[in-house]
Amino acid sequence: MSSAAASDAGAEIADLLGDQLARLFIKKVTREALAAAEQGRFDIALWKEITDIGAASALASEAVGGAGLSWAQAGGLLQSLGAHAPPVPLGETMLASWMLALAGIEALGAPLTVAGGLLQVDGEGRVSGEDALLSWAPHAAAIVAVAQGAGGRQLVLLATADAELTAQRTLDRLPAARVAMRGVQPLNIAPAPTVLGATGLLAPLAVLRAQQLAGGLAQVLALCVDYANTRSQFGKTIGKFQAIQHQLAELAELTAAAQVAAGYAARQLDSGNADSAERGAAVAKIRAGLSATRGAAIAHQVFGAIGTTDEHILHYHTRRLWQWRDEAGSEAWWAEWLGHRLLAAGGAELWSGIVSRD
Amino acid sequence: MSAAFHYPPFEIPPELDGLRREVRAFLSEASQQWSGWDIGHSWMGFDRAFSRAVGQRGWIGMTWPRAYGGHGRSALERYVVVEEMLAAGAPVGAHWVGDRQSGPLLLRIGSESQKQRFLPKIAAGEAAFCIGLSEPGSGSDLASLRSRATRVDGGWKLNGRKIWTTYAEHCDFMIGLFRSQGTAEVERHKGLSQFLIDLRSSGLEIRPIVDLTGEAHFNEIVFDDVFVSDALLVGRENEGWAQANAELAFERSGPDRYMSSFPLLPLAIDAVCEAGTIDRLSARRIGEALADIVTLREMSLSILGQLAAGHTPAQEAALTKDLGTTFEQRLPELVREITDNAPVISAGDKLSEMQAYLMQSVPSYSLRGGTREIMRGIIARGLGLR
Ligand SMILES: Cc1cc2nc3c(=O)[nH]c(=O)nc-3n(C[C@H](O)[C@H](O)[C@H](O)COP(=O)(O)OP(=O)(O)OC[C@H]3O[C@@H](n4cnc5c(N)ncnc54)[C@H](O)[C@@H]3O)c2cc1C
Repeated sequence: MSSAAASDAGAEIADLLGDQLARLFIKKVTREALAAAEQGRFDIALWKEITDIGAASALASEAVGGAGLSWAQAGGLLQSLGAHAPPVPLGETMLASWMLALAGIEALGAPLTVAGGLLQVDGEGRVSGEDALLSWAPHAAAIVAVAQGAGGRQLVLLATADAELTAQRTLDRLPAARVAMRGVQPLNIAPAPTVLGATGLLAPLAVLRAQQLAGGLAQVLALCVDYANTRSQFGKTIGKFQAIQHQLAELAELTAAAQVAAGYAARQLDSGNADSAERGAAVAKIRAGLSATRGAAIAHQVFGAIGTTDEHILHYHTRRLWQWRDEAGSEAWWAEWLGHRLLAAGGAELWSGIVSRD
Repeated sequence: MSAAFHYPPFEIPPELDGLRREVRAFLSEASQQWSGWDIGHSWMGFDRAFSRAVGQRGWIGMTWPRAYGGHGRSALERYVVVEEMLAAGAPVGAHWVGDRQSGPLLLRIGSESQKQRFLPKIAAGEAAFCIGLSEPGSGSDLASLRSRATRVDGGWKLNGRKIWTTYAEHCDFMIGLFRSQGTAEVERHKGLSQFLIDLRSSGLEIRPIVDLTGEAHFNEIVFDDVFVSDALLVGRENEGWAQANAELAFERSGPDRYMSSFPLLPLAIDAVCEAGTIDRLSARRIGEALADIVTLREMSLSILGQLAAGHTPAQEAALTKDLGTTFEQRLPELVREITDNAPVISAGDKLSEMQAYLMQSVPSYSLRGGTREIMRGIIARGLGLR
C-alpha cells in the first residue's frame, strides 16, 4: 500500500473509531459516572467496551494488531478524551501500547500507564528510581517507563505489583500515586525507540496532555456558549452582553491555539525525530497550559455562582484542565526547558529554527 | 458540537528551501545599512529602491499570471518570501499593499485594461498603493462613510475626506471606497463603490499626520471634485462593500499580523547571553514566545491553505489576527522583563532603537486592519452569540 493510501485508510479508521468512542462517551460518561470514579470506583464495564472497540491499541502498529494510526490521525480521538474525560487510562494505554510496539515488546491487554520521569537500570537489568506522580498507577497492571543505564536509554515494562505505590491526592481526584522502584526486574526491556530524546517519555506524555487540554477547552467553550445563550439577566440572555461575548471570543482563541499547537506536536512526534518531538511537545504543552489557565478563569466568570457548585458539571472539566496543565511538565517547566535551548543556540539561530522542519 | 473554527495543517515543503536561501542571501546584503529604528518599522518601512530590487528578483506579485507581470508561483512560495522579509524587518512598505491587497483585488475583479495597466507596475515595485477606507466620522463603523462619488460625463467626481491613509503622501495610487448611491443613514454598505485614484489628480490634497513616534506615516486626504474616469471604477458599481470584504481574510491572516515586532527577539536573546543573565525568568519568557510564534505560524499557514483551496476562513482570520497582534504587542514588554532596559535610546544600539520604536508603534497593531473589539465581535458572531 502506498503511504498516501495508508494515510487515507488511517484517517478513515480514525474517524470511525472517533465516532464510536464519542457516542460511547456521551452515553456513559455522565456526571454520575465521573463522580463515582472520583470516589475511587474503577469503571470496568466502560473499560471493556473501549477495549472491545480496539481503541486502546489505536496508535500501536498493525503488525502487533493495533490500528496503526499516526498521532496526527488520532488527534480528534485524543481530544475527545479531553472533552468527555472518560475516567479510564485510555490515553495512557494508547501511548504505552504505541511505545511497546515500537520497541518490539509485547503489550498486555490490561490498562497500562506511563511514567514521565526517568528511572535507572543497573548492569543486571534491575530498575530503580521514582516517579512523583503516575496517574492511574493504582489500576494499571503494568507501567511503561524509560530507564537510563550504561548501555543507553531502555524502554522497560514493569509490573505495578513490583513497585511501591503511595497514593496521591490530585485536583482531578482520580487515582494516582508516587511510584518507587527498588531493584525491580522488569517484565521486558528493550532499547528505547529513537523518537524518545533525553526527556524520555515526558515528551509524548506532554503531547497527550496537550491534546486533552485542547479537547477540554473545546468542551468548556461549548458549555459556556450554551449557557450564555440560555441564562437571562436584565431581560436578555447574558450572551448578548458584549463583555461576555468578548470573553468567549478570547476563550475561542485560546482553544484554537491549544488545538493547533497540539496538532503541530502530533506531527512532530510522527516525524520520528527526537529533537522535533521534544520541541513539539514543549510548544504544545506551553501553549495548551497557558490557554487552560486563562480559559478556566473565563469559564468560571461566565458561569457565575452556579458554575462553582459541586452539582454542576463545569468543575469536572476545569479541575482536569488544572490537573493536566501541571502533569508531564507544566507550561512554566517546558518554557524554561525550551528557553534554555534557544538561549544556548543564540539569536541568529532563532528564525531558522522556527522554519526548519526538524 | 460543531466547531466554529478549523485549522487543517498546511506545510511548506522542503523544495522551497532553495528559495528561502535566495531571499536570505539577498536580505543579508540589503540589511547592512538598516538601523534598529528602521527595522522596527517592519512592513511600515517605505523604501522605493528596496521595493524595485525586490521586484527585479520576481518577489512581488509572485502568484499572478505572467501576462500581468506576475511569476506564476504558488501561494506557499510567496509566503516563504514574505515571512523571510518580515523576520529581517525589511522595509517592504512601498510594495506591501499592492502585493497583498490591491493587486489581488484587481486580478480578481478588475477590468482587463486595469490589470494590464497596474499589475505589471506593482510587480516591478514601481507602483505604490494605499487603501482609502477610513474617514474622520467612520472608523470601525465603516459602512457609515460619507465621501461621495457622483456620476458626471465619462466618469465620476469624488468629494469628501479620507483619513489614516498609510503612506498616501508617498504612494502613486489609492483604491478608495466611496458612496455612489443613497445616504449613509439609509443605504449603509449597499451604496458603496471602489475606485482607482491617481494620487496626483487635481482637486486632491494630501496632508501628512505626524504620529506619536514623531514621524508621519498616515495622512488625511481631501477630495474636492476629483475626477475619475469610468475606466477606473473597480468591479461593479455599488458592490464595493462586498468586494472590499472579500480580501479581508488575506489581510488579517498573513505573517504581518504576528511578526511585526519579531526582530526584537533574536536581539533580546543575544542581549541576555551577553549580560550573563540567562536564568529561569529569561528562559521561560523566551520559551513562551517561541510556543506562540510556532502556533501562530501554523494558524497563518492553515488559513493560507484554506484560501488557496477557495474557502473563506473569515472566523479563523479574525481569531488569528487578534491572537497575533496580542503577541506582537507583548514582545517589547517581554524585552523589558528580561533585559536591563535603560530609560534612554542609545544611538547605534540596535536593540535599544528597535525597542524604542516598537514601544510606541505596537498600540496601533490592534487598531489597524480592524480593532481588537471588532475582531472579537466577529468571533462572537461565529460562536452563535450575536
Ligand atoms: C497605524 C495605522 C494605520 C492605518 N492605516 C489605514 C489605511 O491605510 N487606510 C485606512 O482606511 N485606514 C487606516 N487605518 C485606520 C484603521 O482602519 C482604523 O483606525 C480602525 O478601523 C478603527 O477606527 P477608529 O480609529 O476610527 O476607531 P473607532 O472606530 O472610533 O474606535 C475607537 C474604540 O472604540 C471601539 N469600538 C468601536 N466600535 C465598537 C463596537 N461596535 N464594539 C466595541 N467597541 C467598539 C474600538 O474597538 C476602539 O477601541 C490605520 C490605523 C492605524 C492605527
